[in-house]
Amino acid sequence: MLLAIPIIVMLVSALTSSSDLYLHLWQSVLPNYIINTVLLGAYVVVLTLFFGVISAGLIVHTNIIGKKILRWLLVLPLAMPAYIVAYLYTDLFDYAGFVQIALRDTFHWQSPQDYWFFDIRSLFGAACVISLVLFPYVYLLTRTAFEQQNQNLLRAGRLLGLSPTQNFIKVILPLARPALGISASLVLMETLADFATVQYFAVNTLTTAIYDTWLGYGDLSSANALASVLMLFIFIVVFFEQKARSSQSQQKSMSNNQQQLIILSTRQQFLACTFCWFLAIAGFLLPFSLLINMVFEYSTSEQFFKLLASALNSIELALYAATITVLIALTLALFQRFSYDINKTWPLQISSFGYAIPGTVLAMAMLATFGPVDHSVNDIAIYLQLTEPGLIFSGTIFVLVFAFVVRFAAIANGAISSGLKQIPSSIDLAPASLGVGLKTSLTKIHLPLLKSSILGAWLLVFVEAMKELPAVLLLRPFNFETLSTQVYQLISDEMLEQGALGAILIVLFGLFPIIWLNSSNEKIAKTQHREQDFAAH
Amino acid sequence: MPLISISNLSVTLQKNTILSDVNLTLASGDIIGLVGPSGCGKTTLLNTIAGFIEQSQGQIQLNDFGVINTITTEQFISPERRNIGMIFQDYALFPHLTVAKNICFGIAKQSNAAQKTQLITLLKLLKLDDLADRYPHQLSGGQQQRVAIARALAPKPALLLLDEPFSNIDARLRNDLMIELRSLLKELKITAIFVTHNKDEVFSFGDKIAVMTEGKILQTGTPAEVCKNPNSFQVADFLQLGAWLPITTIESNNLPSHEQGATISYHSALGLIKSTLSSPKTKTFSENKLVLLVKPQHLSLHANHDANAIVKNITITEQGYHYQLSSICTQNDLAFTALSFYSNQALHLEQKIAIKLNIDDLVIFAMADTHSLITST
Repeated sequence: MLLAIPIIVMLVSALTSSSDLYLHLWQSVLPNYIINTVLLGAYVVVLTLFFGVISAGLIVHTNIIGKKILRWLLVLPLAMPAYIVAYLYTDLFDYAGFVQIALRDTFHWQSPQDYWFFDIRSLFGAACVISLVLFPYVYLLTRTAFEQQNQNLLRAGRLLGLSPTQNFIKVILPLARPALGISASLVLMETLADFATVQYFAVNTLTTAIYDTWLGYGDLSSANALASVLMLFIFIVVFFEQKARSSQSQQKSMSNNQQQLIILSTRQQFLACTFCWFLAIAGFLLPFSLLINMVFEYSTSEQFFKLLASALNSIELALYAATITVLIALTLALFQRFSYDINKTWPLQISSFGYAIPGTVLAMAMLATFGPVDHSVNDIAIYLQLTEPGLIFSGTIFVLVFAFVVRFAAIANGAISSGLKQIPSSIDLAPASLGVGLKTSLTKIHLPLLKSSILGAWLLVFVEAMKELPAVLLLRPFNFETLSTQVYQLISDEMLEQGALGAILIVLFGLFPIIWLNSSNEKIAKTQHREQDFAAH
Repeated sequence: MPLISISNLSVTLQKNTILSDVNLTLASGDIIGLVGPSGCGKTTLLNTIAGFIEQSQGQIQLNDFGVINTITTEQFISPERRNIGMIFQDYALFPHLTVAKNICFGIAKQSNAAQKTQLITLLKLLKLDDLADRYPHQLSGGQQQRVAIARALAPKPALLLLDEPFSNIDARLRNDLMIELRSLLKELKITAIFVTHNKDEVFSFGDKIAVMTEGKILQTGTPAEVCKNPNSFQVADFLQLGAWLPITTIESNNLPSHEQGATISYHSALGLIKSTLSSPKTKTFSENKLVLLVKPQHLSLHANHDANAIVKNITITEQGYHYQLSSICTQNDLAFTALSFYSNQALHLEQKIAIKLNIDDLVIFAMADTHSLITST
């Protein structure tokens, strides 16, 4: 409950602030920001669905060459922070970039008037870059949905007169609707939360507006108001996501191992391969190799030590965040398991909502809450004639860790409660029947069984905390740099070359949860198969 | 012209031979049941006929209302062009479509009016009138099955395939549903092949039966024929036609045993058994150790006679007491176990009794055949 307080404080303060403020915002910048945000979201959703659904369809339902490699490669772009890709591609496709120079040289064009070239520093350019790294959400969820579809349904479609392609459109896709809904809303949440990419491309959205109004003009109440508007969007998306999830539960179906693959003609095979490899290359392989190239070309030992200092800051922050988040998640999950209170699911659900909150909004909420607290602490200190402690909450890493705990609670909750679900409920009862108390049964049975889930949750939060950017930018104490803020700073100064190593570290940290997620998915699929085999015999 | 004729069909999947040299013909309007132990290839055969699996040898000839479709390894016809309907074990109803839309799914190309007439007819026929706007998950198992039937019948298929159609139905309703569905198929003159592992379903639902093991069809015929004259130990054993009594041949009195009218005698733990080689169907065996199929009705209590069996198990059934008997001496070659027999007379466990065997048509197989089966299962 404590974790939800900052958000409530922010919303209340936004609602109670003077109405002039909204009027002013509405008359000046707000419509533009909202239009940009909505357009960006729409473009990204359409593009990610296009990329993700087609690639998932090709991987699951056709005999595409290199399926085993592509299956994995297509997930990797998720590890690429969009702002790094944005920087790298601007470098490549800009007027002064390698591609345009090469084109001008080849065709002897002199100036921009001689030819048309796609302008990457635009709203659509931002949408493309964001889509390239976010489409794996759609790909992963849709692929899983396709693989778990009941083969008999697809067979029924064929026998009732549909060709394989018609079957895909009329049966397979509609059946995957819940997965499409969930993945589209995830993508939308991430897009709404994106700050660095749009900032770099100078596209004004709500997130950049929050950042500018607070850090640029120091106008906390306007920033709060903007954050509340963004929060409203997020509420809407979450609502739809929950709806999609509830309809998914009705369509539970068993997987069947005898897949009927669509056999592609040579031309189709070529197109399919081009499509999938384009996504893998543009989303991961190309940017990653560009980064590696930069490291080899520009790295110096001085940069290395500078990065090391920020990396240590990142690690310190992530250690606190991961440990506290996991402890809270564990307490909540065990409370839910053993409590007989009918409202026992509430704490876990509320704390899981944090992940939907964009980092910028969360930062505003923290400032709105802990700023006044700090002021009153100092006032009390003056009253008691003690030395002023300064901004002990909002001016230290306390506020950062707090923000991380709120934001990443969902990840830890998910990992730990799914681990807990695998422990049969009869195990809760067995110790009591053997005369052993709850405390002993927790330490001797549940915690050892949960060991791998706890470790997994801890690592996932640790990695996410290492990567987090917007919240850190707004909340960090003076002169406190983390790996991601430093890389971002260098990107804004057009000097990523000096931070390429840091960027690679961020990507590598990002790869970890993806590999973990993918292999645990595979594990689940395997056990399901085994269970079915067992049931069949 | 039969509706479907399958000749020399073989299917190999990932180097495993699933079906080998299957031959089957079915006349228009007939219902045939494929039975066999699990893993014998019956579902594969169904999927091959439907076109989900390509055959590696042989051909399938389908009479689609006068148009003959021949499917060979060179000439594959995709499932949607075979005009075959299928009812799946889990019914495979589209969860995102209503009952009405599920039923009309296969006739979407027809005009709206034609679709509507067909829908109304089928809803009425299958007693689904009130359920047209429901979704599959709102229906009971029996209702779901009726929707699946309606959906399969809507495009007027030449042949209907049913994969374990009654396995998801509550045991108490099963018999009624079978009778209902059978009369429906007969009324519409639909040719159907269905798969089951339950022999009783074939007896009450099918016109013909085909017994399969290890990818082969062992015997085809009407249920009565197959029960009376099983052509192999496996068929008789799978259909659980009775128990097995070990017997040995006695060298017959100088008459060549294969001649018609000759008498052959056998030794058994229940005494001497004589048979006349009246019909050419009766086989002769080169080996001496044989088994005789004994059904419960072949056995009766024999008063005033030496005991030759011992009661090993008693259960109470609607036909009276059901006893399982063993021979008194368990060590010799003729010893038997688990002969079944019904009686109204109360006996007690381990009671020694005298029983008598009355059989006209002997069904005999070599003992060696039974061993191969016992080791393989």
